[in-house]
Amino acid sequence: MISLRGVSLVYPNGVRALDNVNLEIAKGDFVFLVGHSGTGKSSLLRLLYREAKATAGQITVDGIRVDRVRRSRVPALRRHLGVVFQDFKLLNDKTVWENVAFAMQVTGAHTRDVMRQVPRVLDLVGLSHKSRMYPNELSGGEQQRTAIARALVNNPKILLCDEPTGNLDPTNTSEITALLQRINLKGTTVVVATHNQAVVDRMRRRVVRLDDGRITTDEERGYYYLGLRESQVLSG
Amino acid sequence: MDSGKVKFFLGEVLRNFTRNTGMQMTAIGTVAITIVLLGMFLFVRAALAGAGAQLLDQIEISAYLRADATPKQVTAIAHYLEADRRIASVQFVPKRQGLAELRERTKGTIDTGLLTENPLPDKFRIKARVPDDVPAVAAGVRRLSGVDNVVYGQKIVQRLLQLGAVLRRIGIGVIGVFFAVAGIIIANTIRLTVFARRREIAIMQLVGATNTYIRLPFICEGLVDGVIGGLLAVGLLSIARVTLWPRLLEALPWAQLRAFPLDPRLLGGELVLVGATIGIVASWISVGRHLRT
Ligand SMILES: Nc1ncnc2c1ncn2[C@@H]1O[C@H](COP(=O)(O)OP(=O)(O)O)[C@@H](O)[C@H]1O
Ligand SMILES: [Mg+2]
Repeated sequence: MISLRGVSLVYPNGVRALDNVNLEIAKGDFVFLVGHSGTGKSSLLRLLYREAKATAGQITVDGIRVDRVRRSRVPALRRHLGVVFQDFKLLNDKTVWENVAFAMQVTGAHTRDVMRQVPRVLDLVGLSHKSRMYPNELSGGEQQRTAIARALVNNPKILLCDEPTGNLDPTNTSEITALLQRINLKGTTVVVATHNQAVVDRMRRRVVRLDDGRITTDEERGYYYLGLRESQVLSG
Repeated sequence: MDSGKVKFFLGEVLRNFTRNTGMQMTAIGTVAITIVLLGMFLFVRAALAGAGAQLLDQIEISAYLRADATPKQVTAIAHYLEADRRIASVQFVPKRQGLAELRERTKGTIDTGLLTENPLPDKFRIKARVPDDVPAVAAGVRRLSGVDNVVYGQKIVQRLLQLGAVLRRIGIGVIGVFFAVAGIIIANTIRLTVFARRREIAIMQLVGATNTYIRLPFICEGLVDGVIGGLLAVGLLSIARVTLWPRLLEALPWAQLRAFPLDPRLLGGELVLVGATIGIVASWISVGRHLRT
């Protein structure tokens, strides 16, 4: 579903954010990208939705060669992906419903499809009863659920999350984590960049660790910290 | 037709348009001023061309013949003149007729009865089809043998032609400047809207809206600015035509203005179209610069 081969990213200012990254993510995977701040987690995600362009290497996302995609084809690529951020990126002058519908309307969806699809995703994220509220009337967790609904409304096969719980308290964090897990169970490939230890350690999913732009470990059922034992998590 | 889609789109355009009313008014006002100037320029140009054409129409070339010109030479000159396609009419005026005309014109001022013999030579009276050809036609005739002298309102013709050219250049310069100003102000208005909507634009790009789709509301905004400005200008010009035109006729009888020199409806349509074009071009450029990523 996602494949990176020998991928490097050097920003115009000379910072080498990623260095020879190789990564394969299968359909239906759930992957955590972990690592210190500034190790290139966001940069890696940005390459996938073509917000940044790889300096070297091959990137394939859902069959599209992202490293070579023409600028006019970028919108088509992004319709294969849902993206969620730490700061939600909601429009404050639109209701929950309008924020979610927006993603369909601006990509030319038929109103009939909007009317069918928006209630479905609002139900999935548990916000049907708040569809008429504005973002500033919602808790952080509800705002993030709105953002997730928006990311999913066009039925992407892949959901990319960059620090989705970075602004949330522990209660809201576990809410969002549970939601991401449910989405993954329905077949969506989920990639989450995070430095939240609790989230990673509770889920026990695949953990890819970045350090200074390189992948240092890739564990199938990993913990946030390398080599941490289950007993230590439970007692700590 | 998906009415929900249309409603959503029009809502977005309306929100853009009402977001920055002051700037919107400035843009519309500048377009209106520019187009009023353009309309006035077109009017003055047409009026001058009309008046100039009438003046130039009355200009005739007199080709005076030498006293010793042979009948053969006169015939040759007549053939030459008839063959020249730039010439509208040719008339031979023998000196007797010339004297009679002179008497008629100067009746009461000069006593031509004192003349003991006719001092006038025979002449050809020539009219060119187009005023601009007058100097060239005159020069051609002057070279023919048997022709003594060629006279026409050289000074007037040259002055009128020059005046026309100068006015045209000044007008085009002034209007060019106003076009640029109107374009820049619209572009700036759109830039402010783009800035106010940068979050929306970022989200649109994120969820895969095409650049064309993102552009469209802004282009519509520019179009609305241009069309409203154009309509406003045409309204002002129409009022001016109804109120000022009759007075102009009274005040400048010598200008020989008769009919209004332009078709008001056609001109109005064209001017609104010009406004729309300014709006579209300015907003297209402005948004394009902000969408480049
Ligand atoms: N747009 C940018 N231009 C230049 N350097 C950047 C840009 N974005 C990130 N960087 C640099 O690239 C490195 C990786 O950043 P990032 O991918 O944001 O890391 P993370 O998400 O893991 O915190 C950092 O050194 C950061 O300063
Ligand atoms: Mg980051």
